[in-house]
This record gives sequence, structure tokens and C-alpha cells, in this order.
Amino acid sequence: MSLTKTKGYQQVLAWLQKDDKKPFKFQEEAWSYYAKGYSGLVNAPTGFGKTFSLFLAVVIEGINLAEQKDKKKVKDRLQLIWITPLRSLAKDIARAMREVLAELELDWYVGVRNGDTSQAEKLQQKKSMPEILLITPESLHLLLAQKGSSTLFESLKCIVADEWHELLGSKRGVLVELAISRIKGLQKANKKQHLRVWGISATIGNIEEALDVIEPDTTAKRTIIKAKLSKKIIIKSILPDDIETLPWAGHLGLKLAYKLLPIIEKSKTTLIFINTRGQSEMWYQHLLNLEPELAGRIAIHHGSIDFELRNWIEDALHTGMLKAVIATSSLDLGVDFKPVDTVVQVGSPKGVARFLQRAGRSGHSPGETSKIYFLPTHALELVEAAAIKEAAKNNDIESREPVILVFDTLIQYLVTLAIGDGFDDKIIYEEVKNTHAFKMLLPEEWSWVMQFITFGGDSLTAYQEFKKVAKDEEDGLWKVKSRQIAMRHRLHIGTIVSDAMLKVKFLSGGYIGMVEEYFVSKIKAGDSFTLAGRILEFVQIKDMTVIVRKSKQKKAMSPSWLGGRLPLSSNLGTVLRKKYNEVLNKTHQEEELDIVYPLFLVQQERSHVPRNDELLIEMINNKEGFHLFAYPFEGRLVHEILAALVAYRLSKLLPITFSLAMNDYGFELLSDIEIPMDDAIAYEVFSPENLTEDISLSINSTEMARRKFRDIACISGLVFQGYPGKYVANKHLQSSAGLFFNVFSDYDKHNLLLRQAYDEVFYQQLEEPRLAAALHRIQQSTIVITHPTRFTPLSFPIKVDSLRANMSSEELEHRIERMKVEIFK
Amino acid sequence: MTITIRDEELILAKERAIYLPKEKLLAISDLHLGKAAHFRKAGLQVPSTLAQSDLNRLSFLLDEYQPETLLINGDMFHHELNTDIDDFERWKGQYPNLKFVLVKGNHDKLDETQYQNLGIEIHEPSYCTSKFCFIHDAIKCKEENLYPISGHIHPGVSVYGKAKQYLKFPCFYFGGKYAVMPAFSAFTGLSLIRPKVSEQVYAITPTKVVKV
Repeated sequence: MSLTKTKGYQQVLAWLQKDDKKPFKFQEEAWSYYAKGYSGLVNAPTGFGKTFSLFLAVVIEGINLAEQKDKKKVKDRLQLIWITPLRSLAKDIARAMREVLAELELDWYVGVRNGDTSQAEKLQQKKSMPEILLITPESLHLLLAQKGSSTLFESLKCIVADEWHELLGSKRGVLVELAISRIKGLQKANKKQHLRVWGISATIGNIEEALDVIEPDTTAKRTIIKAKLSKKIIIKSILPDDIETLPWAGHLGLKLAYKLLPIIEKSKTTLIFINTRGQSEMWYQHLLNLEPELAGRIAIHHGSIDFELRNWIEDALHTGMLKAVIATSSLDLGVDFKPVDTVVQVGSPKGVARFLQRAGRSGHSPGETSKIYFLPTHALELVEAAAIKEAAKNNDIESREPVILVFDTLIQYLVTLAIGDGFDDKIIYEEVKNTHAFKMLLPEEWSWVMQFITFGGDSLTAYQEFKKVAKDEEDGLWKVKSRQIAMRHRLHIGTIVSDAMLKVKFLSGGYIGMVEEYFVSKIKAGDSFTLAGRILEFVQIKDMTVIVRKSKQKKAMSPSWLGGRLPLSSNLGTVLRKKYNEVLNKTHQEEELDIVYPLFLVQQERSHVPRNDELLIEMINNKEGFHLFAYPFEGRLVHEILAALVAYRLSKLLPITFSLAMNDYGFELLSDIEIPMDDAIAYEVFSPENLTEDISLSINSTEMARRKFRDIACISGLVFQGYPGKYVANKHLQSSAGLFFNVFSDYDKHNLLLRQAYDEVFYQQLEEPRLAAALHRIQQSTIVITHPTRFTPLSFPIKVDSLRANMSSEELEHRIERMKVEIFK
Repeated sequence: MTITIRDEELILAKERAIYLPKEKLLAISDLHLGKAAHFRKAGLQVPSTLAQSDLNRLSFLLDEYQPETLLINGDMFHHELNTDIDDFERWKGQYPNLKFVLVKGNHDKLDETQYQNLGIEIHEPSYCTSKFCFIHDAIKCKEENLYPISGHIHPGVSVYGKAKQYLKFPCFYFGGKYAVMPAFSAFTGLSLIRPKVSEQVYAITPTKVVKV
């Protein structure tokens, strides 16, 4: 029978027609492929009902199956698992799904399960699973960590990974891959294989690969469904009246805030995206100071604000009660807030895909236009704005590289299974091998991982008393016996690593949000800070909770939350280099570039403006030391490696010590002695020859791998990160990732987690082809070396950057000798 | 490196120990024996060769200085008796004539008899020589005429230089009121101290002890 004749299809169609709507072509395609047993990927812009393309496919089948079935039979339980990367998405999608189910009179229950779900509701779900479960990757693994979890998925028909492009390039994506592999395996063991796996993704550069990751079995029925719909986007920069208004460096951009007020005024609701949580707090205060009338009509939303408050803000957004909301990436994705008609991006979004995603938050309905304003935080960002506009126009969208061979995540997953119903290592090995992430896993690597969780390392030297995962003699499955280890593991499932967080609560009751333990350790009773847009006075810490009262002060410090700065994508880097050319020779139409022109004259006068076929090197000598600045425009991550590489090669010429800094445009080497540099040396140190070997050596001599190890140690369970409100006092088991890094480097060189730290630098951060391409490009370029007497518009932002690394070819003792002079002078 | 404190010679060893030639006494602090095994029991994969390497380093020191007394200035055992301690007992058998002295620290919570069985002499709260008072936590010292030498905090020092250079080392600290020894165990972190200009700090590099 063709799908269109089925009862389910007719019912859905009738419901749509009631509202004068009809399905989009891609939705019908998805329903039809799903009914034929396909897995796949749906690629559609936001605001065109991509949720319905798959949700309704499952619903149609559900109605049809219910029709065929004996009414008295026990109800099938779990039908659909819907994985969302953000908690805020789940609530919204659940609401939409419930409305549809009620209209269609399908007696299905929609459950939500994530960090915000109450204990009572989780227990209820354990007794009786809802038909549709909205879940985060982490909570899905927590489900696998429950006893009896293997029976939960017997009737499951479909797993959907929503916003798959967001999960794809991270270890959270690997969590999804592993969970899918297990659920498939459970159905296979039961001989009831009806599972189909689908991803929903915005447009990315590698959409075919995205399918390979979510359904790695190339023999399975799979397809990509593309919605041929385009979204109209208007991009406008908020320009300063003259370039002097904007600082040469900085990330805050408050100077132009007054220009936002008329935009907020004439829009229904405005979403203002700020790149970090700390800055969003400052913006909130600043907007209120500028326009006190906004009080009560603007709100602030980020991941460290308490669940109840976030809920309230999201509801208020839906009803249009708010004029503006200041948000971080916590509101990046798919949530459909109808009243939002304007979006503002403060500071560079660093990537085309992210910018378009955020733009899509406005004009969310089909046919509407998205409108986004770009507010620069420093002068050079205006060039970035022009570059983003051009890349967006050409639809030049980045790829998301899937993560592979992450042993920390594999180790965590295996212990998760061992806490649940236990696992058979032969079966799981096959399942894991069949995921995209671990298809290159070698048998010896697998046995190392098994030894690591069972013997605690190499079995030759391991002691008897290591306790973690052991074989259950009765059923031959690997399990965790210790309740304490199980409990600790459950608290740490997930791959997002943050500093220990403490909940913040009013003296009189009521939670406000969370701050990092590190921040609290620096403030005294009576000090004030801002959180969730309120000014709070610190009273004390009690039971691992920060107690506060309302502060009478008008101004206070903002807590800083750790969180990586986003690197510039390579697509944007290329366009950016082109834009630099266009500014000086005025071959452009962009108003941004006109405004920034005087700054380029300053750059030209003090040094040189690099053209597309040039590499500029600036040598500046001042009382701080000897600086070398170079500007390849390849993005922060590549510059970090490039800086280490150039420093390493220079340090082979003479004993020298460097301090390294970088931003998206270039990097700095700073030394206390003169840095040798001329044309010949420049081509030499930027040479693509011996690249692989020299990179390994330069990575080894910086702290890059050690920094990567911080996350790896947490994910693999070596180090506890603490848990908000659930702090386990385990002082005598505490240590740091850095200590483990040292100990493994000294005593366990073959540790795969250690290797992973280097691999993450080498393969993920480095993007070796990108680096090689950059070096080849530089070899073809003219290298221009200048000796400015003052910092230039290009060098200044790098100089003030505080994140630094070191590289040295001098003996430690010599260095200490010079340094002590500095101290006791 | 040899230094003189209160007219007595002290040798600071890069293996993180102090030797007092006059007393024929070798002092170490914060050995944290059994820490690796304690972690392993809780399911944390600390390399099991770690404890052995600490003992090897101690053997090297004993051969080098041939002391009559080995003083452990607190936190000898991390938590409880475990296989690391069994290894320690076997290792100790090689030194029948060496006197083992433990100044009790906050981690040392075994029964008196367990220390007796291991042949370790207990001193609480301190062990005094003619010039120095060895005590785990310096602020608890009541010997007014002696110079306290303590452990406990696992001291580290950071040095800064021109061109934003920065280095961090474990260290010996000799302040106006008391001294602090570095932690002997390799499996310990550092807590950074900020010395005053008049105070002496000796950084421990992989190859030698350097005054900073």
C-alpha cells in the first residue's frame, strides 16, 4: 500500500489542511523514506519544520501500526528517542509534539530527560517509559548506566539526532555514536531490528560525511534529504561614526551600545548574542544604565543561570513580553521564538555557519526574512564583518570534522556499560569497531583500554588491588561491583569539562544560578558580583552553596566563566585576507571597509599593509623585550602551532627563550634577547620541509598537549571536576590532570590517553593539510619585514592578549639565573 | 648545594631531601607512601611503578649520604595499609641499621602498634636536634629557641623574567621564622609560596638545586 493511502498519512494531512497548511516536499520525502525503512539525514534551514519531517514520519507509522494491532495487546513502549544538544531545546520541542499528538488523538506520552529533569519524573519514567523521549547525549548514557536498561529499547523504532551538525565535531557526537551502536546491538541480540537512525542538520561543508557518522553502515538503506528552500537573510553592521570610537583591541564593545537602543525600540523582540557569559552580564548592566526604561523588559540568558529562571525567560520570549534578551550560545539552536524579529551579534562569531545559525533565530517562520546586526568590539572586526557578509553571500560554509579515536570517551562508555547491565567484551568490540569514531581502532588498542579499566594499566606490572571493572563469574559480563565507584562515575558522565561549579542561592531562598568555585575563592563576604543580571552581595559558602543577598551597590564585578575562545574558521580566513587587499586599493562596496580605512593608513605609515600575496613580519624592540609579529591570517588554532613551529626552528639557531601569543590574524614571539631575522631566515622558518617532524618536536616542547590532557583526564574519570550542588568530599582522592600528565609521561609512556593528548593537538587542532597549505602559500609569497618603532594596529591586539605559551632551547639554570636578577633587583 | 643555617651545615639534595652532616641525619617530608595504591583501590589508574620509583630515589640518597637516621617529617603514609606499604616493608629490610623516625603529620593515622611492627619510631609533635625542630606543620611549633623545619604544604616557587617569561619549580624555603621542605613523593602537586625579598628559596630543577 502506498504511504499516501494509509490512515496515518491521511490523518496527518487532514490535520495540516485544517490550518490551511500542506507538507513541504522534503517532509513528504522524509515520511516516505522512513516508511520504507531508510535511515538518513535531513538538511533544511531552520524555520521550515524540520522537526516535523521526522517526528511525523514516526507518528504516521505509529497510527498505522496501532490500526493493525489487536487493541487489547499491551502497549509498545518507547518508540522514538529524540537527541537534542541543548536542554532548552527539549522543552520547546516537547511542547510542539504534545500539541500535535493531542490534535491527532494519538495516545502517546512525550517525556523529557536531562540534567533539569526532577528525580520523581525520572523514577516515573523508569516504571513506564514514554513513547517519545527527548534526551541529551549525556542523559542517554546515564540511561545505559542503569540496571535493567537493556530491556528499555526493545520496541524503539527511531533515534533522531537533532542539530547533528552541533554534535558532530565534538566528543558529544561520539557519545551519540556509541549509544546508537549499543541500542542497535541490543535489538540485534533480540532479533527485533526495526531501528532507523536519522540526523537533522543545518547546511555544513561535509554533509555526506555527517551521514557516514550517524549511519556508518554503507550497506544499510540510507539517504540524504535536502530541502531546496532558501532563507533570506539581511546582514547589517552597526558602524561607529568615526574609527577613533573603536579601540584597537578588546572583546566587549560597550562603546557602540547606545546605537542598539533604537534598534531594540523599533523591533518586536531582539536577541543579542554575546560570546561569553561574563560579557553578557556586563552588557545587561550597561544597557540598563543607558536606558533605565528597559528595566523589566530585558532579560539575560546563559548556561549558568538557574533552570527556573531560564524557563521563565524562555516563556516570556514566546509570549513576546520581552523587548530584548541578552544570550550566549545557550540560545544558539533551533528554539522557535515567534516574536523574535531581530538578532544582534556582538563581536565576531568567528564562523559563517554560526553566524547564519544565529541569524536564523529571527524571522523563524517559513517565508520570513531573518535580520541580523553585527556590532564590532574592536576596529579590525569591521573587516571581519565584511568578510562574513561575503562568505555568507557565497554560501561558503565550514565543515564540521568528526572526532575519532577518543580513548577517554571510549573508557568512559565502557565503565558506563559496566555500571549498567555489564558487557561482553567481544560483542562490544564489534559494535565499537562499527562506529565511525572507532573504525580505525586496532586490536591492541582495544586490549589496552580493557586492561586499563580492569587491571589499571599494563597487566604485567598491575597490582591485584586495582578495583574498577571486573568479570562477573556467573554470567561472564564485565561489571563494576563497587557502589562508590558507580556513584562517582554517574556524576561524571559526559564530555563537557568545566571547573567545579557552585550553586548560588538567596539567603531568603531561591536559586539564581552557578559560578565557578575559583571565582568564589577570590571574593570576600560583603563583595558584590553580578549574576543573571542582578547585583548580589556575597554572604558565605554553606553546604557547597554560595549564599547571597541583594546588593545595594550600583556596580559590581562580573564572574568569569572558563570557556574556550572560538577560533576563526579557515573559510573566513581566506576571505579576510582578500578583504585586507580591498581596503587599501578601495576595490569594494562595503561601508565597513570605508570606515576602517584610516586605521589602515596608520598601519601603512607605521609598517605595511600585507597584500594577498605577502606575509608581513614586524620586528619591534621596546623595554618589554624583542617582539616578532607575523600575520598569516589562518585563525588562532593554526597560529598556535605555527608560532610553536617558528619558535622551535629559531631556537635551533641559538639558545633562546620565547613567550608565544596569538590571535586570529597572527602571532607574536617575544624574547629577552634579539631575535635573528632576515629574508633567508624567514623563508627557512616558514618552510614546509620536514614539517611533520618539526611539528612533533615543537608540540613536545610546549604545553599544548598538557592543556588537552585536562579534558581527557576528566572524561576518562582520572580527575573529578566536582558537580554543582552534589560535591563529593573526596579530598584524599583528589589530584590534578597536570600531575597525571607528568606521572604518565615519566612512568607510563605508552598510555593511550597520553597519546590522545598529542593526537588531539596534531590532528584536530593542527589540521595538518591546512598548515601545509598555509606554508606553501607563504613560500610563494613575498615576505615583507618591517621594523616599526611603535606597535601597529595589527600587532597591538596580539600584544595585549594574556594567554601565552613558552618555548626554550636554553638550559634551565641559565634562565633562572637571569630571572632572579629581575626579581631581586 | 650546601647552605649554613644557625651556624650548622645543611646539604640540600635535588632528590628533595636535606642532609645534616653533624647529626648524620637525612630528612625528607611528605612521602605519601601508599597514595598510588589507595588511588588504584578506588579505580583510578595511577601507574603502579610510582611508589617503587620514590623508594628507589630514597635508596640513592641513603647510599650517597650513609646517614644513621632517616627522618620523615610527616605524611609518611597516605591513608591506610596497602600493597605499597608491603613493598615498603620489604625495601626497609635492606637497611637493618638505619633508624627510622617519623614526625607525625595529618595523614599519619595508623595505630601505634602498626608503626612499631614496621620498626618506625614515632615523635609527636616534633623531633628536635640541637639547632632545629622538625615538625610537620610549622605554626604548631612551641620550641622558641630552635629553628623549625616543616613540610606539609608541598611548596613550589614561580619565577618571572623579562619578556613575560615564567617558570615553576618545587622548592626549599628558608624564611625568617621557619623553613619548609619540598614533598618527597613525585605524586604530589605544588602550592606556590611568595617569599619576601629577605627570605631564601632554592628551586629544584631536574639536574640541580638553584638559589632564586
